[in-house]
Amino acid sequence: MKRLLPLLLLFFFAGASLLHASDVPTISKDELKAQLDTGKTVVLDVRSGRDWSSSEFKIKGAIRAAGDDIGKWSKDYKKDQKLVLYCA
Amino acid sequence: MKSPILLSLALGCGWLFSPEVLVITGNSAGNLGLLAIPLLALAAFLFSTCGKAINSVQLGSKESSELQILRQSIGAIPAASLTLAACFPLLILAATALLVTSGYTFNEVFLYWFPNFGFAFLLLGLLTLVQFLPMKQLLRVQLFCVSLAGGGILILAVYGSGTSVIPLSALLHMPQQLSGAALSSALLLFLFAGSNLFHGQQGRFSLIPRLAFIVFSLWMFASLSHVNPERLASSTIPYMTASRRILGDTGRQIMGVVVVSGSCAAVIGLTLLCREKLTDLAQAHMAPAFLAKGGGRWILPPLVAIATGICMATGLAGDEILETLLRSALLLWLLYYSAVTLAATLVLKKEQQTVSLPARVAPLLLFTGLLAVLFTNPQRSEMFVILICLLVTSSALAALWFFINPKERLKKETL
Repeated sequence: MKRLLPLLLLFFFAGASLLHASDVPTISKDELKAQLDTGKTVVLDVRSGRDWSSSEFKIKGAIRAAGDDIGKWSKDYKKDQKLVLYCA
Repeated sequence: MKSPILLSLALGCGWLFSPEVLVITGNSAGNLGLLAIPLLALAAFLFSTCGKAINSVQLGSKESSELQILRQSIGAIPAASLTLAACFPLLILAATALLVTSGYTFNEVFLYWFPNFGFAFLLLGLLTLVQFLPMKQLLRVQLFCVSLAGGGILILAVYGSGTSVIPLSALLHMPQQLSGAALSSALLLFLFAGSNLFHGQQGRFSLIPRLAFIVFSLWMFASLSHVNPERLASSTIPYMTASRRILGDTGRQIMGVVVVSGSCAAVIGLTLLCREKLTDLAQAHMAPAFLAKGGGRWILPPLVAIATGICMATGLAGDEILETLLRSALLLWLLYYSAVTLAATLVLKKEQQTVSLPARVAPLLLFTGLLAVLFTNPQRSEMFVILICLLVTSSALAALWFFINPKERLKKETL
C-alpha cells in the first residue's frame, strides 16, 4: 500500500494537469492590435486574485472587470463596441 | 545530514525565500524606503531573542517541545488547539498560493505554451512524492531548493546594489507612502514564519534571522536602487519588476528560478513543520498514537495534497479571499509564536532563571505587531471572523479528542 500510494497520487496529478478549458472564440495578437486602432474595441482583464496579481503580463490599457459580474459592467459599453475578455 | 548549520538552513529557510516574502520585502521597501532595513533588523533581533528564550527552556527540560512549553502555561486543550490552528491552515493556504504563483511564473518566464495551472498541479504532485523520501534525502532536496532560491536572490541583490541607477541621496529621502508604512513594518514579522520552531535547530536560533537580515537588506537596497518606491509599494510582483530592471531578461529568469525553488522550499518546509507538530501532539497523547512514531510521513502529505488540489481546482487562487485567508493564517502563526515565547519566559521565571529584558518585551512586541497587521488591514473584519472560526474549529477538535479518549484525558489529569 505504501508503494502504491505515491503512484496513485502521480496519476491523479498528471491527470489533473491535462484539464483544458472548453473551446471559446479567440482573437490573435495581430488581430487585436489592428482592432485596437479603430477605437471600437475594449480589452477587459477579467482575471482576479492570484491569477491577476501573480502575472507579470498585463495588457496596456486593459480595464479590470469581474468575470462573474458581466450583467453589471456590460451595460457600461455601447452595443457597437467589441469587448475582448482576457482571462489567462 | 551531519552538518548542524546545513540542517538549520534546510529546516529554517523554507518560507524565507518564498515569493510571499519577496512581495512583503518589496512592498515594505517601497513604503518605507531605506527605513525598512533597520526595521528588518529589529524584526530579526526579536525573533533571535524569542528563539533564545524558547531554546533555554528546551535545553533545561526533558519535555522540550513548544507544545509542552505552551501546555505548562495554558493547559492541554488550548495548547493543542493553538498548535493546530497555527500550523495546518498556513500550510494548505500557503501551498495553494505559492504553487499558483509558481505556475504563472513558469508559464510567463520559461515556457509560454505550458499551462500555468498544469504546472501548479504537477509541482504539487512532485512535492507530495518528495515527502515520501527518507528524511535524509528529503532534507537534501530541501537544502537544494533553499540554496537555489537564496543564491538567486543574493546574486541579484549583490549585482543590483553595485549597479545603482538611483543616487544614494535620493534613496535617503523620507518614505513617501506613509499610509502603508505601519502595515509594512508589521508585515516584516511574517518573514520568519516557521523558521525557528524545529527541534533540529536547537542552539542555532539566531542563524536564520541573521541570514534573513543580510540577504533582504541587500535585496531591499538593490530594489530601491533600480525601481522608484511608488512602483515597488504598489506592485503585486515587486521582485520581478526589480530583477528585470537589475539584469534584464537574465534577471527575470534568475527570479523565475528563485520563485519556483522558493515555493518548493516553503511547501516542503511547512509540511515538515506540520509533521513535527503532529508527532509532538501524538507524543503528548493529544493525537492518535501511530503519529508519534513518524506516522505523519504517510498521512499528512496526501491529505495536504488533496486539500491543496481542491483549493486550486475550485478556483480559490482566483479569488481575492485567498489573500485574506493567508494573512489570517500567518497572524495565527504569529499568535502561536508569541504565546510560546511568553510561556517560555514564564517557565524560566518559575525555575528562577534570569530572563533578559529583550526576552520579556519580545512577546509583547510580537503581539503588538499582530494587532497592527490586523487593524491596519482593509479586510480586518473578514480577518477577525476567519481567526475566530479557525480558533473555534481547532478548539472543538482538541476538546473532542479529549472527550472521546477518556484514557488520554486521565493521562492529562495526572500530568
